[in-house]
Amino acid sequence: MGAFEGIDKLGRYQPPTESCRHDHIPSPHPEAAVHSPKLAALHARLSLPERLPLQTLARSLVDVSADSDPAFNNSSLAILGSDILGYYTSEFLLCHYPRLPMVVLFAAQSAYVGPKTLAALSQEWGVEAAACPGGEVDPGLLQFTQVDPGAPPPDMLKPGTTSRPNDDRHYRRGLSSRIVYDDQFGDMKANPDSGIAITGSSTSFPSSPSRSQPTFPPPSSSLSSTLTSHRPNLGPDRQPTASRTTAYAPPPSRNGTTHERARQTFVRALCGALYLHCGKPYTRSFFRAHILSRSLRPSTPSPATSSLPSSSAPQGLASLFAFTQPTRDLSRLCAREGFEPPVARLISETGRASRHPVFVVGVYSGRDKLGEGAGSSLDEARFRAAANALRGWYLYTPGEGEVSMPSETEIGAGGGNGRERGGGKKYIPPFIDPGEVVV
Amino acid sequence: MTCPFSPLSLARQPFFKSSGFSSRTCRRQESTARRLRQRLRIKPEPSFAETIPTQDHIIYNPPSSAPSVYHTPFKFLPQNDKRRQRLAAATTSSPFAFSAPTSDNSTSSTLPPPLRAPVQKRYHLTSADFDEIRRLRIEDPLKWSNIALAKKFQCSTVLIPMICSVPKEVKQIREKELEDIKQKWGPKKRAAREDRARRRERWGRDE
Repeated sequence: MGAFEGIDKLGRYQPPTESCRHDHIPSPHPEAAVHSPKLAALHARLSLPERLPLQTLARSLVDVSADSDPAFNNSSLAILGSDILGYYTSEFLLCHYPRLPMVVLFAAQSAYVGPKTLAALSQEWGVEAAACPGGEVDPGLLQFTQVDPGAPPPDMLKPGTTSRPNDDRHYRRGLSSRIVYDDQFGDMKANPDSGIAITGSSTSFPSSPSRSQPTFPPPSSSLSSTLTSHRPNLGPDRQPTASRTTAYAPPPSRNGTTHERARQTFVRALCGALYLHCGKPYTRSFFRAHILSRSLRPSTPSPATSSLPSSSAPQGLASLFAFTQPTRDLSRLCAREGFEPPVARLISETGRASRHPVFVVGVYSGRDKLGEGAGSSLDEARFRAAANALRGWYLYTPGEGEVSMPSETEIGAGGGNGRERGGGKKYIPPFIDPGEVVV
Repeated sequence: MTCPFSPLSLARQPFFKSSGFSSRTCRRQESTARRLRQRLRIKPEPSFAETIPTQDHIIYNPPSSAPSVYHTPFKFLPQNDKRRQRLAAATTSSPFAFSAPTSDNSTSSTLPPPLRAPVQKRYHLTSADFDEIRRLRIEDPLKWSNIALAKKFQCSTVLIPMICSVPKEVKQIREKELEDIKQKWGPKKRAAREDRARRRERWGRDE
């Protein structure tokens, strides 16, 4: 099989001829991945290592709504990738910001690896979606079935299908129960026993068993020749035929998914595939380069009710805080930590009798200034000062050399090659905080 | 210019005619370059003055700005944090001393004035007072509200709900009263109140 088979003289992808047409299969054949310029371009654009084969990259682009066969869609990779992304993010947040309250932690997790972020990420990577999935589609396109207009969104959970006990009784969803029962973002997740969690929305294809009929030689390009043991079940020649006809029975529902959901699943599946093929160190560096490098920006405030210019809006994790009674919380915090009770002091002011006065108020505990805030009224400045003091408390981060995340200390985590031994960072126990302020 | 009716002179004519109100003498304008240059000749900041000309040193003169919340205040640093010792050493040795991490109260006059007079907690209520508060509340819950009880016993309004709660019926009556008041508000007052609440929310988000 030539390397340029399936590509015409102008470099365009040509669907296979009648001898091996794939119209009857729901997603592109793994063999077609080698011939797709789109896929090769995506592989090169992301600087993915050669150890990640194009076939796996193509598989990570196939959503469960396009191909319900778990051996050919990305659902299993996405589960692994979701756990990896969640682990690396929470590890980073907990080690670098050990005092973050739980609500902010959930929000930060969602901001770094939440559905919206991952969907935006795949869009920035230049991943395009196929209009309709099918075996004849270019494997470099994201393949998923759009949810029908008017149908309930696929991530909407009905009572009785979530992982919470007695969720049909509408109990209050407190924060403690969100930690125990809900997912990494504090959102309700589907009950794994109800059968929704893994496969999500599935599409049944009546021609599913016929896909195992044609036999193809194993891919012989230079990319795929390097991988042997790392490779999960990929080629059809490795698939047990019996399991596809008998054991796996796709559910009869024909549910689609949303664009955002399909994109998010792709990014997760890619991370899972990277973990399987390239190991932990590469996955960590990929995570650092693509996720941690993103800056957290607040949504632009509407100018109608804004009293301060938008340039003063907080950046980073500080934008995730929303206090309702910061003065009370701060006095509780000072009482808990044994500091002197906070006192608001007027540092400077201008234009008290004018239409636009500005007051600068600092909150002091004893002789130490805890926070400072400016506002157009004394009350506002005091409120802002107390809120800033609380942000200062919660956003404490140990010094640069004082943090070592557990994944950094693993053997082989230092170098780029996962097989090399040693090089793990020295383990420093992370700072453990007594917890957020409870009033 | 030889021609008296040149376009330039015609154009200038109205200017000279209307200048009867102002003096004809040449007046020096405030905006001359020399004046401006003199005005802008400000003495440099003291930190830029060459105090130690013989050796290299760092000039630290940041522009005035709101402090970043990512700089943890000295008091909020944990006991084993290395920045504690460094900050303490910097404030004692360096001339550029920022927030004083000392905890002596000798120089309290240098602190800015407090917004409100500091309230000293008195802890003056006894258990007999507590019983009296409960008795009054049971006797007439409508009359003895939290504010009224706090005023009578000279304590905080936060303390009263810790001692005794308000009956459900009284709560409903109060809510009904408040709703009746809100019903009388016009659209302007209602919008102003809503805007105020929205602005207050933005304070908490630091926007």
